[in-house]
Amino acid sequence: MTNTFIMRAAREIRKHHLAYLFIAVPVVSSIVFLLIPMLTSLWWSFNDYSGLQPAKFIGLQNYIKLLTDDTIFLHALRNTTLFVLMGMSIGPTLGLITAIMLNQNIRLRTIFRTAYFLPVMTSMVVVATVWMMLYNQNGLFNTVLTNLGLGTVGWLSDPKWTLVSIVLASIWQGFGFETVVYLAALQDIPKELYEAAMIDGASAWQRFWTVTLPGLRSVVLFVYVYGIIGSYQVFDQVFVMTSGGPVYSSTSIVYYLYTRFQNLRLGYSSAIAYILFVILVLFSYLQMRLSRERE
Amino acid sequence: MITRRKTSLLLQRGTLYLALVVSSILMIVPFYWAVITSLKLEGFVYSNPPQWWPNPLTFFHYVEITTKLSFLRYFSNSLFVAGSITLAHVFFDTLAAYAFAKLRFPGRDRIFFIMLLGLMVPFQVNLIPMYRIMSSLRWLDTYAALIVPQLTSIFGIFLMRQYIQSIPDELLDAARIDGCNEFNVFRRVILPLAIPGIATLVIFIFMGAWSDFLWPRLVTSSNNMFTLQVGLAQLQMKNTSNITQIMAGTVTTALPMILVYLLMQRRFIEGITAGAVKG
Repeated sequence: MTNTFIMRAAREIRKHHLAYLFIAVPVVSSIVFLLIPMLTSLWWSFNDYSGLQPAKFIGLQNYIKLLTDDTIFLHALRNTTLFVLMGMSIGPTLGLITAIMLNQNIRLRTIFRTAYFLPVMTSMVVVATVWMMLYNQNGLFNTVLTNLGLGTVGWLSDPKWTLVSIVLASIWQGFGFETVVYLAALQDIPKELYEAAMIDGASAWQRFWTVTLPGLRSVVLFVYVYGIIGSYQVFDQVFVMTSGGPVYSSTSIVYYLYTRFQNLRLGYSSAIAYILFVILVLFSYLQMRLSRERE
Repeated sequence: MITRRKTSLLLQRGTLYLALVVSSILMIVPFYWAVITSLKLEGFVYSNPPQWWPNPLTFFHYVEITTKLSFLRYFSNSLFVAGSITLAHVFFDTLAAYAFAKLRFPGRDRIFFIMLLGLMVPFQVNLIPMYRIMSSLRWLDTYAALIVPQLTSIFGIFLMRQYIQSIPDELLDAARIDGCNEFNVFRRVILPLAIPGIATLVIFIFMGAWSDFLWPRLVTSSNNMFTLQVGLAQLQMKNTSNITQIMAGTVTTALPMILVYLLMQRRFIEGITAGAVKG
């Protein structure tokens, strides 16, 4: 009796021992590459720290300076928010429209879907180099505009246009992802709902509002929240296409963080990272609230 | 009445196809333009009217970027780094996901919940301390810096846990009765049954690792450690005027992922949507 008990206990421990072994690498990796760096940069954000001299504690001064005094950062905050707003008002809408078009009874669906989705498979650096060529003063876009008698645009040289140019390239790269996600969700909406609406005499527009959109609700939430969180971290395009210029017209939060880091303002750039973190947490919280409301 | 209805239907179909065709062409133009530019001679790039087919056509720039520049090296770096990262994820994420989904041990749910919170932390928060860690380990400019911090991810564990939870416990118990220990249950039962989930994981992780730019750019400094993305960005910044060469580099960087997609299209779309809905 005691013998079997001991054996069972030993077996239990052995079993747990293996389970802990199975999660060991992710747990250690999360501690070393996530938890420790996270706490370190939180501490640095309250310090004046260059990485060369010892850190000097200065309380909230980095944050205060960033939010009240640093015009470049305020510019970056504004640019990034505009980038998010422009991208999010166009990208997901294009995704929905194309998904609805693909969801009709059409031929060659795979080919059209490939056309929308292919840019998703390319990296932002590739997108940036391709669009820089198109945006060149003598590039394809300006040549076409000139031939239409519309004159040229300083896509990446005119501060009024840089952000728009970066948004356009980013939308081209990204909306195919939303197309595919929306299309999958559309195909999950039961056909009977549409048939019932038809019998009730609902017009195509009414069917869209009463059947399609409610059926997409959770996917819409996903698309916007993850889109916003991803867009707030925009960096690659800015780095390659404009280096944040001209005159900071396209400097984004992460790009500014990067330049402060390159200037060895480690404490200061950590504070930038934490401001970004807070913005993203707010959106995550919003999503949690909204998806709970649904249930 | 009926014919009017028919023509209006026809008109509707016509508009639909027109919209599909025109938008698809617009989407493809940047790719097409990149490819034909890479095949043009320098002097023909900015001609007006635009040259829609390269004449003369040359592969010279591809020869140039592989012999004079190090694009072959960048390519093998990218393949090695993204490949190692992906393999590590398949093993570690799935193994941990198995433990979190099917094994009982003290603290399981608490540990998982804390790790989930980590999903919210943007990479930029860790960037600078991570760089310092790499530098103090003397890993800067080595493969270790490119690979080791990315051996596992919470996202991957979460994705695989969702998947493994749907595998019936009876199958695992049957294997245990046959004398398998937990690792053999994992190897013989979980891994084969989780293949569709693993395919999704591979797609997400490989795509992410292949396209990653900020981290590789930060931790590499010598030409023969660059990945394709870093090498391409470097070429673009050093040599803005040589657009034909840049486009040859761009096409080389983009082509592998595009080919993989075209070959495994269905897997990809299923994987992406499953990841989006579950992840």
